[in-house]
Amino acid sequence: MRMLYTIARFIAEKEPPSQDSEGITTHSAWFPEKSEIIYGTFASLLIFFLLYKFAGPFAKKAMAARTERIQKELDSAAADKSAAATEASDIRQAKGDIGAERDRLMADAAVQAEALLADGRVRLDAEMAELLARADADIATAKSRSIDELRAEISRLSASAADRAVAESVDDATHQNLVEAFIQKVGASA
Amino acid sequence: MSDPVIEGYAKALFEVARAEGSLDEVEDELFRFARSYENSESLRNALIDEMIPAGKRQAIVEDLLGGKSTATTVQLVSMVVGSGRGRDLPAIIDQLVERASSAKNLEVAQVRSAIALTDDQQTRLSAALANATGKQVNLKVVVDPSVLGGIIATVGDTVIDGSVRTRLDQLKARL
Repeated sequence: MRMLYTIARFIAEKEPPSQDSEGITTHSAWFPEKSEIIYGTFASLLIFFLLYKFAGPFAKKAMAARTERIQKELDSAAADKSAAATEASDIRQAKGDIGAERDRLMADAAVQAEALLADGRVRLDAEMAELLARADADIATAKSRSIDELRAEISRLSASAADRAVAESVDDATHQNLVEAFIQKVGASA
Repeated sequence: MSDPVIEGYAKALFEVARAEGSLDEVEDELFRFARSYENSESLRNALIDEMIPAGKRQAIVEDLLGGKSTATTVQLVSMVVGSGRGRDLPAIIDQLVERASSAKNLEVAQVRSAIALTDDQQTRLSAALANATGKQVNLKVVVDPSVLGGIIATVGDTVIDGSVRTRLDQLKARL
């Protein structure tokens, strides 16, 4: 600093005062006039004071709000992280549960399949037995029907043969006897 | 209930036969012709076939009955067949027989026998039926070989069955 001051004084002493077109004389090309330094200092201090007095609270409030917002975001991020951890834990637990459920379902399915198979075998056996019984009944019916038809045919043939035998065996004398017997029977029935 | 048309024809035939004075004979001939008509499908078909002209159907009747029956019988049957009433011939004749019997206070006794009955047998059968039913009967004998033997007598609603056919049918039913 001292060195800088020395350099500045050297330059100032070496340079001669200059005058512009309006007649104003400048003593140094590097430094302002003493009065400017004094007024400028007071003006700067006043501006700093005013800034501190009026703009400071706003800036402080804005900074506090920003801090609060950033804190909120940090809190939210932490909460999200915690929720994600919880969810991850839940998912891991659920994954484990799904495996157990799958095993349980597979076991249930195996039991049900076995039961269905057993039921199917029983039903099949019952249906087979029913079909066999029905077939036996049909055979018996057909047999009975055939016997009945045969019996009816024999009866018809017997009747036809009897008709012919009777017609051929009844001679005139028998006819007369039958007529006489009828007349006597009717006459006696009064 | 009788058909008025049939009754009308029966009445007309009855009046003609009575006017001719041969009611008993005509009635008997008509009765036998009616039974033959019932038993012969070919005769029925010939006499009721509308495709055969009436004159030809009447000629068939005259060929069948001519010389075997009285002229009145032939003319009456010919008249019925010619008027297209051949289908109703048995019913008309049965009405006529009933009317003739009623006129004599007799009940028609239709007798079916496998053989023809002698006059003596008919007389005794009439007496026996009258005795059994309590009504005087007008005996109408039909020779029907399907009876096989014996007699079936029908008087009004009463049927007296002494036929071999019926006994044989009963035997068949039992079998």
